[in-house]
Amino acid sequence: MSLVAEAEGGTSDVAGSSVQTTAPSARRPTARRGPFRLRAPLPRGWDAAVAVGASLAILAVWEIVARLGLTTPLFFPAPSTILSTMARMISDQNLLWHAWVSTLRVWGAFLLAAVMAIPIGVAMSGYRVVGAALEPAVDFIRYLPVPALVPLAIIWFGVGEETKIFLLWLGTFFQLVLLVADDMRRVPNEYFEIAYTVGANERQALKDVAFRAMLPSLVDNLRISLGWCWTYLIIAEIVAADSGLGFVIWAARRYMKTPEVMAGVVLIGVIGLATDQLLRLLHRRAFRYLRGA
Amino acid sequence: MVHLQFDRVTKRFGDVPVVETPFDLSVRRHEFVVFLGPSGCGKTTLMRMVGGLDAPTTGEIRLEGEPVGPPDRRRGMVFQSYSSFPWLTVAENVAFGMKYRTDLTETEKAVRAEQYLDLVGLYEFSDHYPNQVSGGMRQRIAIARTLAAGADVLLMDEPFGALDALRREQLQTELRAIQRRDAKTVVFVTHDVEEALFVADRVVVFSKRPARIVTQIDVRSRLGDERTIEMRDGDDFFALRRETIGAVRAAAGDEL
Repeated sequence: MSLVAEAEGGTSDVAGSSVQTTAPSARRPTARRGPFRLRAPLPRGWDAAVAVGASLAILAVWEIVARLGLTTPLFFPAPSTILSTMARMISDQNLLWHAWVSTLRVWGAFLLAAVMAIPIGVAMSGYRVVGAALEPAVDFIRYLPVPALVPLAIIWFGVGEETKIFLLWLGTFFQLVLLVADDMRRVPNEYFEIAYTVGANERQALKDVAFRAMLPSLVDNLRISLGWCWTYLIIAEIVAADSGLGFVIWAARRYMKTPEVMAGVVLIGVIGLATDQLLRLLHRRAFRYLRGA
Repeated sequence: MVHLQFDRVTKRFGDVPVVETPFDLSVRRHEFVVFLGPSGCGKTTLMRMVGGLDAPTTGEIRLEGEPVGPPDRRRGMVFQSYSSFPWLTVAENVAFGMKYRTDLTETEKAVRAEQYLDLVGLYEFSDHYPNQVSGGMRQRIAIARTLAAGADVLLMDEPFGALDALRREQLQTELRAIQRRDAKTVVFVTHDVEEALFVADRVVVFSKRPARIVTQIDVRSRLGDERTIEMRDGDDFFALRRETIGAVRAAAGDEL
């Protein structure tokens, strides 16, 4: 049977949904024009241009304020000073090695947290009995501030790598496990039922359907918890470390070397930004199907 | 020949009686039965019990004489929403119906997937993702998937509920044609009187919850097997529609 009309209808259906998204701005045709209209879309490419432009502007103002001597370098060094300090630290103080050590710790703890959180989180919402058993403990630990557990971590693990990994893991695992449980909970029942009615067993339905259905939001949540890891890294490295960016920052502070402190901070920011953007890009690539025609 | 038999079925969810009066119904092989009733009346629950997705509280449902067990691919479901997987292409969605079949080789699966894509007119959209096609096409994906799975009972829960009037009409016509061509038994749930009459061999009219049968309408003896869009404007269809609406109103009236 021929379905040409349906096919044409298909494209108009998609157009219909895009009309809906612009409807809020169309509601008041006489209102302001341009990008400052509420919910107005930005033309293609503007997003990146505005982001880069605004960031450069902030840096420029900062540089000018510092150069004019309105601040003392001790408190607020210019971006150019930070940059040259960073270059010097790379050649003299092994800054990149420290950054590498920190990155390894973050990823080590993050992967450990993820590998544990994914199956446990899935089990928590897949099997009500597991959820009921674990939720109180997870919720309790989740609200403990990581710094408060530093002494305990040192008692348990001494001042080696284990302590750092433990602290990072502590800060992410308990948050992540609940996010994973939520992702799993949001998988529509219909998906499981489709799987069962084509002959899948529970394990197959979990692996082939539920996991695939939750994957986009799971990856998003992993990306967010990777960010938390960096937050706790500094706490872990300040307390007990002789390497890593937290150690570098903390050591520089002791001698009031503000440019070095800021160079360390900036480097963390750069690594975070780069990782986040990379993961976002991979997300868009891997989950193209989420976007319509 | 009886394909599907409800034998004194009741259902409660906790304290809520969904089907209180024991429910009896036989569905013949290759019969297209529509459950028509108000939203939330329990007709969907009865249909889901056929699929093995819910179990009766008392009574039994038999498929070819055997009590129905957990879901399997002989009883295919088509839902109103989330009816296909967004991460699979149209063709992969259809092929998913055969993913767990061990009686077919990969080549046979591929050939069969193409056949059913073609049958529902989606062949040229094989490589699209469900988000890139219309709601009507997404429902076709689901129908093709259940057919590819080898279901001989199709269980459809308001499958066209989210579609506009024209597309509904078109899919109803196609579904009826496919059901006749492939000789499937269909249990179709809807609250739309016209839809019910247009696709059904027999319409079972439900009361509001707890569900019981108010009346049954033998549509086939009135409209025949073939259904065309023109029939919807005919006098027979109008008369039948008026009767059915009357029955539905009367049912609602006595509950009020």
